[in-house]
Amino acid sequence: MEFLSLLTPQFFVLVAGGTMVGILFGAIPGMTATMAVAVCLPLTYSLGLVDGLALLLGLYVGGISGGLVPAILLNIPGTPSSITTTFDGYPMTQKGEGERALKLAIYASLFGGLFSLAVLYLFAPALADFAIKFSYIEKFLIILLALTVMAALSSSLIVGIFSGVLGIFISLVGTYPTSVGGNGEVRLMPEALIPYLESGFALLPVLIGVFGVAAILAEAAQGVREETAADRLRLTTGKPFSLSLFRGQGVNLVRSASIGTFVGILPGVGGSAASVLSYSQEKNFSRNPEQFGKGAPAGVIASESANNGLTGGALVPLLSLGIPGDSTTAILIGAFALQGIQVGPLFIGENPQIWNSMIVALLAANAVMFLMMYFAIRHLARLVLIPKYVLYPIILMMSVVGAYTINYGIMFDVWTLLLFGVLAFVGQKLGLEVAPFIIGFILGPAAEIYFVKSIESFGTLTIFFTKSPIAMVLWVLIALSVGLSIYLARRAAGRGPDDPAAERGA
Amino acid sequence: MNSMLTTLGAGALGLALATAPVAATAQPISGNLRVVVGSTSTGGDTYQNASIVAEALGQKLGVNVKVDPVGATEAFKAITRDTRGNTVMIFHDQSYLGNLYGVRGYDDIFETYRIGPTVAINPGNAYLVPKKSPYQTIEDVIAAAGEGKRVRVAIEPGGVSEIGFSALKNAVRAKHPGSEGNVVAINTGSQADKNQLLFDGQADVIHGSVQANEQYTRLPETDQKAMRFVWLTSSRDVINQANPEGIGETGRDDMLKYVEPNTVVPRADGQPFVFDKDFFFIYNAKMSDEAVAAIDQALAGIYADGKIQTTQKNAFFIPNFKPSGEAHAYLQEKRDQYRQIIEAIRQ
Repeated sequence: MEFLSLLTPQFFVLVAGGTMVGILFGAIPGMTATMAVAVCLPLTYSLGLVDGLALLLGLYVGGISGGLVPAILLNIPGTPSSITTTFDGYPMTQKGEGERALKLAIYASLFGGLFSLAVLYLFAPALADFAIKFSYIEKFLIILLALTVMAALSSSLIVGIFSGVLGIFISLVGTYPTSVGGNGEVRLMPEALIPYLESGFALLPVLIGVFGVAAILAEAAQGVREETAADRLRLTTGKPFSLSLFRGQGVNLVRSASIGTFVGILPGVGGSAASVLSYSQEKNFSRNPEQFGKGAPAGVIASESANNGLTGGALVPLLSLGIPGDSTTAILIGAFALQGIQVGPLFIGENPQIWNSMIVALLAANAVMFLMMYFAIRHLARLVLIPKYVLYPIILMMSVVGAYTINYGIMFDVWTLLLFGVLAFVGQKLGLEVAPFIIGFILGPAAEIYFVKSIESFGTLTIFFTKSPIAMVLWVLIALSVGLSIYLARRAAGRGPDDPAAERGA
Repeated sequence: MNSMLTTLGAGALGLALATAPVAATAQPISGNLRVVVGSTSTGGDTYQNASIVAEALGQKLGVNVKVDPVGATEAFKAITRDTRGNTVMIFHDQSYLGNLYGVRGYDDIFETYRIGPTVAINPGNAYLVPKKSPYQTIEDVIAAAGEGKRVRVAIEPGGVSEIGFSALKNAVRAKHPGSEGNVVAINTGSQADKNQLLFDGQADVIHGSVQANEQYTRLPETDQKAMRFVWLTSSRDVINQANPEGIGETGRDDMLKYVEPNTVVPRADGQPFVFDKDFFFIYNAKMSDEAVAAIDQALAGIYADGKIQTTQKNAFFIPNFKPSGEAHAYLQEKRDQYRQIIEAIRQ
């Protein structure tokens, strides 16, 4: 228990401060948990490793959780992993249940965070050993499984698949970098655009452009008008929050938190896949899949418990293999490097004090996140009462600042933001689907790399089916997911306007 | 509230007016110094080393310093835009090796940019095999390739990771002419991917580092993740400068087993191939002599103080300060030597 001496009041102040700043970063469209950790990383020099980690872990948990606020209230995901929170969170807000949705999401986030923390604490080395069973092939199949949800998230199977494939296509524009084993050559662009497009389109500007700027343009297209009180969304006109909402959601909570944790454990799969997979699994297993996309509490629970489940999961490979599990832990590893601490398979055993203090920091960060957000909900939810002609310019400004800073000051990222805002606005007029597009965009690069590397390593396509029992199980899941998507699409088509995604819009 | 803002604003303006002329005339680099690094990772050696140097440099020059891990392409663009000396780049041998390997986006740094001082060496550049591997040493690997066995080496193509692979191939070519084709590159990316290829049995040898892989070498042989060093590319002189305790439980004496003359990957002339991963500054080609000299002098002062050496050694770097002119000649000579090897195996 020597580590208790490290848990000074400053330690807890840093956790709380980090969590609060993280929530703000997550809640502002254009800012992310990754950015929050990157900005504060140099502080670990002066703070020392334990206190530095307290701050960074607070930022991490806060940043991942804060994304739910704009996702629910504004239909703009604060972080990439809160995309699926918009699907049902925003419809709940539209029904006057914004506060209810926020509370639901915060409880689910807390559960996901604590679940993954327990998994991290109890099983980290064993899970890391399991994670290394996933070679290029199994990782490709996991991403393929996540991609199969594109169809399930669309009002039309064909349009959904087309939108998703378009997202994959656009994600591959740029250089096939040598840093992932590529040939370093540019592709999918005319020569004249190489100076602009050689680094491709960055995820965050695309995400905020597609969700945020497009929504602002859509609003602007309707004309600026003075909103009357009746126009504004109400906060609590819908059903009130009650813990009984979680009745019957035990399986959903555990499954989604498990998926989030597990996806976090697999390096290179990407955090966004976690909430996409758990959302689609919940929808597929639900007795009322047609309610999804219309404000189903189960959808919010699935998404939020999964993306917070990611936090503990992504730390498993970091602390058991020295390999970051997601983009934020990739920054976090810098704190160890700056202090000259090796992270690898022997880290936990050799650094029990740091390990234990990290667990305490995560526990405290989850508690602080819950308390801060729970008691701030009433104020946060008032965001929807701000007239849109005041709110949207502020969001646009924040988005531009976020896009500019995400890659340390690249102006092209701002053009990307605006370009994809316009494209998404026009695309939706033409009937394209935003959700599958963005999921394709996020998962496309990893899918390509793992597919190409699998072929390069094994030289045959049949290996995808025969590599391991894990691969076979994943194929069964993929087949089930595709089958269910087709079944749900046919059932929805039979019901006409009851189509689950038809009303989701942008 | 308004009055408070007015007071603050007036204070800030007054401070700016009071300090600006002094800062502008006192030194060629004033205001903010942005250090862009050629890697996007904050967990890697480039960011770590740049942070150590930048912090000391900021204090010495009395300027604000920010290290931005933007990656090679964006870093080169950033220094191309700034002739004043307020944006400088810190990178390593990848900057010219990328050009030698023909990677897009890597111009000849000796012609396109201005070479600044070297600051440190990472002595940890390493090659590893699984602990269960039949190859005990890198000489075993060379012999196996000479006997016709296919040896798969996982590397990140086009740079530091590949130069050791090229040297290995060149050594096989020198010792067993015609067999160099048996040394095959498995192109991959991160250290995680290279490790995974070893775990999957898809690679026989991987590129790694003492820092990232040392703990794996301490795992029992029964563990799927267990590895063994077979070669460190640094020179004996460089390893000898490391702290005796080394890193983790691998001390300096342990590391010396894996460098020349104990472990030798021969060049065509029979001399051992050596690669020290040097970190150095790269500037805009038009950066003024005064600004270049200011950074040289500031770093000379920092290294004369002696504190930075301790910090670097504790972080497993070997201090290696050479002012700009000396660094240019030193790096160009390294480049020419590696060019010969790369051209030899291309024939």
